[in-house]
Amino acid sequence: MIGDIFFQLSVRSVKLNFTRSILASIGIVIGVVAISCMGMLGTNMSLQVEDQLSSSANTIVITADAVRMGPPGSQSSSSTEESGIKKTQLNKIKAAVGTNGTVIPIYSSSTQFTYGNVPARGTIYGMNPDDVTEFLTIGNGTNIAGINEALIGYTLAESLGVKIGDKIKISSASEGPPDGSTSASRASVKVVGIIDTRGTVADSVSTDNGIVVTKEWYVAQYGSKDVYDQVNVIVDDTDMITEIEEAIDAKLNTDEKTPAVRISDASSQLDTISSTLETLTLFCLAIGGISLIVAAVSIFNVMMMSVNERIQEIGILLSIGTETGEVRRMFLYEAFILGIIGAGIGGLMSVVIGYSVVDVMMGTTEFFFLPASIIYVPAGMVVGLVVCVISGLYPAWKASNMDPIDALRSD
Amino acid sequence: MTDTPLISLVDVTKTYHLESGDFTALNHVSLDIKENDFVAIMGPSGSGKSTMMNQLGILDVPTTGELYIDGKNVAKMTNLERTHLRRDAIGYIFQKFYLIPLLSAYENVEYPLILKYKKRDTTGRASSLLDAVGIDREMAFHRPNQLSGGQQQRVAIARALVNDPKILLCDEPTGNLDRKTGFAIMEILCNLQKEGKTVILVTHDPKVAEYAQRTIHLDDGRIVES
Repeated sequence: MIGDIFFQLSVRSVKLNFTRSILASIGIVIGVVAISCMGMLGTNMSLQVEDQLSSSANTIVITADAVRMGPPGSQSSSSTEESGIKKTQLNKIKAAVGTNGTVIPIYSSSTQFTYGNVPARGTIYGMNPDDVTEFLTIGNGTNIAGINEALIGYTLAESLGVKIGDKIKISSASEGPPDGSTSASRASVKVVGIIDTRGTVADSVSTDNGIVVTKEWYVAQYGSKDVYDQVNVIVDDTDMITEIEEAIDAKLNTDEKTPAVRISDASSQLDTISSTLETLTLFCLAIGGISLIVAAVSIFNVMMMSVNERIQEIGILLSIGTETGEVRRMFLYEAFILGIIGAGIGGLMSVVIGYSVVDVMMGTTEFFFLPASIIYVPAGMVVGLVVCVISGLYPAWKASNMDPIDALRSD
Repeated sequence: MTDTPLISLVDVTKTYHLESGDFTALNHVSLDIKENDFVAIMGPSGSGKSTMMNQLGILDVPTTGELYIDGKNVAKMTNLERTHLRRDAIGYIFQKFYLIPLLSAYENVEYPLILKYKKRDTTGRASSLLDAVGIDREMAFHRPNQLSGGQQQRVAIARALVNDPKILLCDEPTGNLDRKTGFAIMEILCNLQKEGKTVILVTHDPKVAEYAQRTIHLDDGRIVES
């Protein structure tokens, strides 16, 4: 192609109108950068979520199918009767799991904490101290042992400035006034450890902005003894997840029309999140695509200008025996060259800008150079190039179908 | 060489359909041009000279009548066949030279060879033709806008000859040149005719027409004198 006289004519035409060509290519640069960066950002988000969820890929989460209507501990509400996993159900779960995994019953509630005079909201989890280390990592301090001891999530500890040994007051009511001036009793717990950041997790235990206490302390404050908010099953062999889920389902959901519990695992949550992120990424790509449409109009305009400026030259070419296909090829080469310039610069800028955007928005670039992410750079370049060539189709067709006599007369 | 005409127009009429009404530029014209003829076409403006040149150069086809070039009926050829005939059998020399501005003098001459053989010239034909018309090696690498009118016309002649066409169509070849350069160009054309080319030229200049063996006068789309 490089030795082709028509390619050389196109190169010289682009050089002759260098500024105009570069300006036209900027549209393609923006389009390629927009598409690549949006795609890479979406993919990096998906990969990060996938990575985080994969840490709890061996976990089955069982929750009561009924929706809790009243505050925890509100014994008078009849709607709480079916609001959690009862002891009988827990025993059935244990029986279904057998020796294939660890069953962890968990109490949880949204509540208000106060450290000094600073109020904060978060989730409080009550569980057996032995179960804590099954899936949580205590980065600093020790595990809870005594009834008034608590573990605090890393994010909450950072935001409140809590250190090991500090005391936090916890409201016993789930809904308190925003100013923290609840009249409900406030029990204090002593922070003995800080839990490492977990991020997005599939087991529904988001401790980053929460506190973990012993189940005895939780029941003493919130009631609902032996009615758990969720039961997590950590299976020994992930290949057995489906089998164990079916066993639990068979034991607990005996009435198909009104299942007693909802059983989920990381894969189903991953599907939901991935689908949402995919939709978001597609939406962002569509926005990037709009910039490419604008670029296409710009390229089309420049190509039409090129054709109109070279009418007499086209007449000469046609009159001395150039085939219409060769004239068409010459103008398509020109569009291709504009595309190569735009896509090339756009590709390089996509890597730099994409890396910066992913770093700023996600705080990590560990997934950036993975094939699933970086593929958006060549993909964006190809799309930019194709858009350029498509934009050149009509001008090329117009040039090749000129009447040579009329074209020669043009001045 | 045979007695069969190289170019034959049989009752050719060319009508343009304009908004103001139909305009007949060539009106039932019949003409034979034999191989190695040197024909000058003269006539006032609007007499149909350019239309006839367009017909002879297969840039256009007759509205009615038939045009034969080298025994082939142009009207029955496809667009691609006409393009190839134009490329291989006809060399054009225009009043305004019409060199390709983005190519050097050498590349302009090489261009028709590339069209024909789909590859760059490795035979040295383009260079030798430039030498023959008086364009030296240094000048050969200049773009058309860096050459004088006479030099551009010499390059155009070299380009017209590079595919060794049987017919040379010259549309006012000296029209944009000074008298001395014009005569030098006419000498080149005369020599080409002596070497066997069929030269057809359109001119307003009777001095230029004197070089031709035969002069055809057109008026109002008809041949009035041949």
